[in-house]
Amino acid sequence: MASQSGQSRRVKVYELKNNDWYDRGTGFCSGQVLQPNADNPDGRIVVVSEDDPQRALLETRITKDDGYQKQQDTLIVWTEQNGVDMALSFQEADGCAVIWEFVSEVQQRLSALFAEDGLSDDLLDAQAFVLPEPELGRLEEIEANIRGASMNTHGREALVKYIMNPEHPYILRLAPLVEEAEKQHNAPALHRLCSIMKHLILLNDNSIIEFVVTDQAIMGVVGALEYDPDFPSHRANHRQYLSDSSKFKEVVHIESPEVRKKIHCTYRLLYLKDVVLARILDDPTFSVLNSLIFYHQVEIVTHIQGNQDFLSQLFDLFRDDPQIKPEKKREAVLFIQNCCAVSKNIQAPQRASLYTNFIHHGLFTVIAFALRHHDAAVRVAGTDVLVALIDHDPHLVRSHIFTAMKDQTTPLTDTLIELLLVEVDLGVKSQMADAIKILLDPTSANGMDMMRAGQANSEIMAKRGLTNGASHASPQTEAFIQAFYDGSAKRLFRPLKDLEHRKDMLDLSVHDMSMMTHLVDCLCFFVRQHTWRAKAFILGENLHSRVAQLLACPHKFMKLTALKWFRTCIGLQDEFHNRHMIQHRLFEPMLDVVYETMPRDNLLNSSCLELFEFIKRETVKQLIMHLAEQYRDRLLGITYVNTFQQLVLKYDQMQAGYVPAANGIEDSSFTTQEGTPARIVNGTRFAGLKDMDGDEEAYFNGDDDAEDDDDIGLPTALKAGLTNGASPVRPLVDYPDDEDEELGPMDGMELLASSPDRDVLVKERKSHVAGADPHETAEMDFFEDDPRRTSPEQTSDRSRDRERGRDRRPVPVEGSPGRQGSPPEPLASKRRRDDEDDDELGKMMGGIKRRNSSAASVTSQTGRSQVDGPTKTSPLVKSSGSPVQQHPVGGSQPMLRRKGSLKTKNESSGLGKFAIKTFNFGTKQQQQHDDETTNGDAHLPESEEGSGEGTTVEAVKENGG
Amino acid sequence: MSDLDKAIAQLRACRPIPENQVRELCYKARELLIEEGNVVSVDAPVTICGDIHGQFHDLMELFRVGGDVPDTNYLFMGDFVDRGFYSLESFLLLLCLKVRYPDRITLIRGNHESRQITTVYGFYDECLRKYGSANVWRYCCEVFDYLALGALVMGAATDLQPTDATFQDPNSQATALSEPDEIEIEILNSAGQIINRFPRNNYIGSQDLSQISNTPSSPSQSLEQTPSRNGAPGTGASSASRGSSNNTGSAVLCVHGGLSPLIDSIDKIRLLDRKQEVPHEGAMCDLLWSDPDEIDGWGLSPRGAGFLFGADIVKCFNHKNDLSLICRAHQLVMEGFKEMFDNSIVTVWSAPNYCYRCGNVAAILELGEDGSGAGYAPRTNGDVGRSQGGPLAERIEQRQGPGRRYRVFEAAPQDSRGMPAKKPVAEYFL
Repeated sequence: MASQSGQSRRVKVYELKNNDWYDRGTGFCSGQVLQPNADNPDGRIVVVSEDDPQRALLETRITKDDGYQKQQDTLIVWTEQNGVDMALSFQEADGCAVIWEFVSEVQQRLSALFAEDGLSDDLLDAQAFVLPEPELGRLEEIEANIRGASMNTHGREALVKYIMNPEHPYILRLAPLVEEAEKQHNAPALHRLCSIMKHLILLNDNSIIEFVVTDQAIMGVVGALEYDPDFPSHRANHRQYLSDSSKFKEVVHIESPEVRKKIHCTYRLLYLKDVVLARILDDPTFSVLNSLIFYHQVEIVTHIQGNQDFLSQLFDLFRDDPQIKPEKKREAVLFIQNCCAVSKNIQAPQRASLYTNFIHHGLFTVIAFALRHHDAAVRVAGTDVLVALIDHDPHLVRSHIFTAMKDQTTPLTDTLIELLLVEVDLGVKSQMADAIKILLDPTSANGMDMMRAGQANSEIMAKRGLTNGASHASPQTEAFIQAFYDGSAKRLFRPLKDLEHRKDMLDLSVHDMSMMTHLVDCLCFFVRQHTWRAKAFILGENLHSRVAQLLACPHKFMKLTALKWFRTCIGLQDEFHNRHMIQHRLFEPMLDVVYETMPRDNLLNSSCLELFEFIKRETVKQLIMHLAEQYRDRLLGITYVNTFQQLVLKYDQMQAGYVPAANGIEDSSFTTQEGTPARIVNGTRFAGLKDMDGDEEAYFNGDDDAEDDDDIGLPTALKAGLTNGASPVRPLVDYPDDEDEELGPMDGMELLASSPDRDVLVKERKSHVAGADPHETAEMDFFEDDPRRTSPEQTSDRSRDRERGRDRRPVPVEGSPGRQGSPPEPLASKRRRDDEDDDELGKMMGGIKRRNSSAASVTSQTGRSQVDGPTKTSPLVKSSGSPVQQHPVGGSQPMLRRKGSLKTKNESSGLGKFAIKTFNFGTKQQQQHDDETTNGDAHLPESEEGSGEGTTVEAVKENGG
Repeated sequence: MSDLDKAIAQLRACRPIPENQVRELCYKARELLIEEGNVVSVDAPVTICGDIHGQFHDLMELFRVGGDVPDTNYLFMGDFVDRGFYSLESFLLLLCLKVRYPDRITLIRGNHESRQITTVYGFYDECLRKYGSANVWRYCCEVFDYLALGALVMGAATDLQPTDATFQDPNSQATALSEPDEIEIEILNSAGQIINRFPRNNYIGSQDLSQISNTPSSPSQSLEQTPSRNGAPGTGASSASRGSSNNTGSAVLCVHGGLSPLIDSIDKIRLLDRKQEVPHEGAMCDLLWSDPDEIDGWGLSPRGAGFLFGADIVKCFNHKNDLSLICRAHQLVMEGFKEMFDNSIVTVWSAPNYCYRCGNVAAILELGEDGSGAGYAPRTNGDVGRSQGGPLAERIEQRQGPGRRYRVFEAAPQDSRGMPAKKPVAEYFL
């Protein structure tokens, strides 16, 4: 019985640290049984160092369920009670077999022992762990016991079992102590109770957390938590706050008691998260809270959308009936807003049926009602609901609008436009402007489409994705946008157009200015998104000249707004826009602004400089010609920076037949956010660019075909001349439109060949940054070891580095780490291109404004709520309106996150930290990833220690705690 | 008492001001900020502060330690919002002070002053909770777009005026330097006592670049070091600090994150159109996102935006732009500040016990005024050619750094504030 394996064996001891097997030394292994006659046999594996027989490398007690594994004849692996993974690597298989036999035997005996007693594991553990009776006098003891037990996983489990034992619900028995101590004014006891409660909650156990928010437990728990020992002279008022039942607005009575209970529990969970525990929450507990909240909300919303009686009553509140109090209607709108906000978190099919049911009961009537409500908060709610609806399924909204147009009723677009123009609340105004933009955003199409297609096979989906990518928008969307330009656009931009009759800009009111800002902002968005339709409209209405009038406004921010418009247009490198600006001599007021502000170093001046710097850097010949020929002296008169002289110099060089490279040496080190082509052309990314030609060509074709249909007679002079280089400005001639069509495709190719399409490149680069993939980490490490980077003197290397630094394009999970070295395969770059449009949206407005609607809170919540298992239709991807789903290349990246709006940047700066938060739910690595993201900004201690990729959340918590 | 003063008083009590006042305030701030260059010129003396992150009570502690506005001239290097529970009050108070005392306080933009980041890290949520709508958040974000990207501190003295402060540890007095020595670095605790003091070492080194860049820095030991040692805490080896014989101080560049490969001279920053959301890449992004690191040249940043940059980059940049020091924030340093690369760059962090649980101390950096007037000659706006130095000498001479007085402070005492918590949802339907 004593030493069953007395014969020692040579063995190496390993311990898993930071995902690496750390060698603890070599020694001789034996199995020993101490106290062989005790009830509980104590079998141990002991390894004695071969260098120093006095030193034990390992002494571990065998338990009956520590998951011992024998691998490859010479390896035994197990997990210690403290969670550390250990391994013994034997020199010989014989030795391994002997020890393995020993372990098995001890385990068998342990099991047999328990079986004999007829006790289940649970009871045994519970018996093993007992807390003192809850009494004021024993609090110190209780706290010490809890603290001791929570040191290791095993103890924690036992503790949880004991606490949650339904026969003696410990938490409920602690609760009366709070009142007792309060009566005695026993502050130390109260503080101790608070610590105990904190400990129990931070055990991070679902069942405990669910229990503390139940009706029976909540008051006792928050009561104890009111006395935080960190704030000895303070007492919080949690009980008072939570017992105030007026906070719950029950617009329509909810019959089901379970659902009502869920609603209250959710509210308490939120309160715990935001208030009671805000300061002390560790990341794992934060996640547990968030996921509980998430599941509750899903259940509540699911219940509501399926409850027809409830919905009838709810929407019935909006009927014309003087009996119904206005306050009730107001609350009903806010209730619906709340539902929509919550629904962003839930899965697409459920969300779809929620909206379908809502619409069936008259959601659009409610929106129309809310938008015209006198209370700004209700108008905000109305736009919120609308934006949520568009985000969910733009087709739905658009077809509703089509129906309205057919029925000769005021379509929603016109309502929005009308309201935008008269809205007095500046906040609501900007939200309405956002709603209009989202409604007219061609890239927001197809969300639901793709979700439906998601059920079909992925090959078809990929094909559709590509078609959509090329033509940008579905016919319905196209028709919708066309209808907008046919009618509504004129109404929307009327105030801008009306500037024509103004002599000066001196008496613009605050509201006028805010309106102009929004209109120009919308225009900037449309001109990039709607290409030729917007172009035709803008040129037709001569809006360039109108915006230019704003440059004369005494308010500098209006000048800035106007400059932003011209900068956007020049950035498009579109000859029509350029020609229009030239024709109307619009650079004159811009130069005026330079003269007014120079040489002061201020924002306005910098914006002007950036604009002219762009023309210079990109060698926009058309504009350089015009500027140098018309304003040579004025340009040369600006001497405090060399931009303007260089513009003239470029012109002179062009005249002399020298065509400067777009990325001249003097510019190579500098760009604005736009990124120079140099960085791409010199880098390894050129292949990707080539790939775009086809796409771009198709795009140009498509556009031109459409353009053919409506004869607007755009002036099309010079096209051929300009694309092939240095031909000077010729007199403007109005060619018939079909010429444009002929030139179109060729023009497209020329453009790409001679000067890479700026926007495409820019967007492409943006999309790199946006990507998100847990595997990014490994790749980054890989590149950090890249020897090439250590030779920064070589410009080529440096630019490659830059490429590398920028490339955040999501890489398929199975992708090879050599992604930067090799040109991307066509499909990938195709997808990237499609992402670009997405990004464009994000940049122009979606990314900025759409979050207002509250996608924001959604992000942070769902991001951490860790839905179990990879969900195919991630609510997040959908809620951000990402068309990424359209292009599941290889199906390997189902959870791509749209970068425009919801990208998160991990600010941790520790080495080897992960860069970007991803949405690949469900994997362990992902969980940790999210946790780290929330640590953010700097080296929080736990993230520092837990940064090894293999570490689980559990480990992070232990390190941090 | 003007409305503005009332608003300041209310905000100092950590109570938000009404929405219409916020709007007015933001409009006024916009008018002011639009007149500032992308890189603001600031004259010494100035107190430079790092991240605040909505830790309102600690901001109050900062003012207590550093002196109140307008008595002290402040420069805040961004990241006013997010993470802490009082982003709104903190930012609005700073903005009020800016509007009230435009010449006494400078605010530059951090990476958290962005729509995207604030929606994820708390400020958006906070505004929504405190006002019931996102309007205030919109107004603030609009102001963010107008914030300057950096600041250039002119005329900082190369030596510190000795204070009459006592040493925290009386024993240190004995080992302290004799008076005539020029003091380069002085570290004070929140009670104004000297923790440590370091003389300027005029030893002109002959190390080449590679050696310098390999100088290890060991921040973790800093404050425990004995005063007799020549290295300053958090500075690595200060004994290698090489003052040139040129005794005039030069400018200090302050920026939230760091350098950009697209920006080789300060003039280039001027050519940015800063009124926009912080982009995902490009020069403006880099200035707000980059970090110094012990590498050669440029490296990929683990943050997903900006770059890592090494000692060689900093030294070249400082030489080319005639800077003696780059001052930045953006990274938590447990000791509140950390000098790197032979004192050519310093990280200042001003949010003590970050996130209410990191256990770090915070610091602010005081730069004194060069009384002799022989300091860096401020260029008029419109000067060209700061950057037109000849080709870099093989060995780069480092400008003598300004005298630096760090005041280290801890989180505001718990009792001076309520329990920090987010504002709960006011009413609920679901």
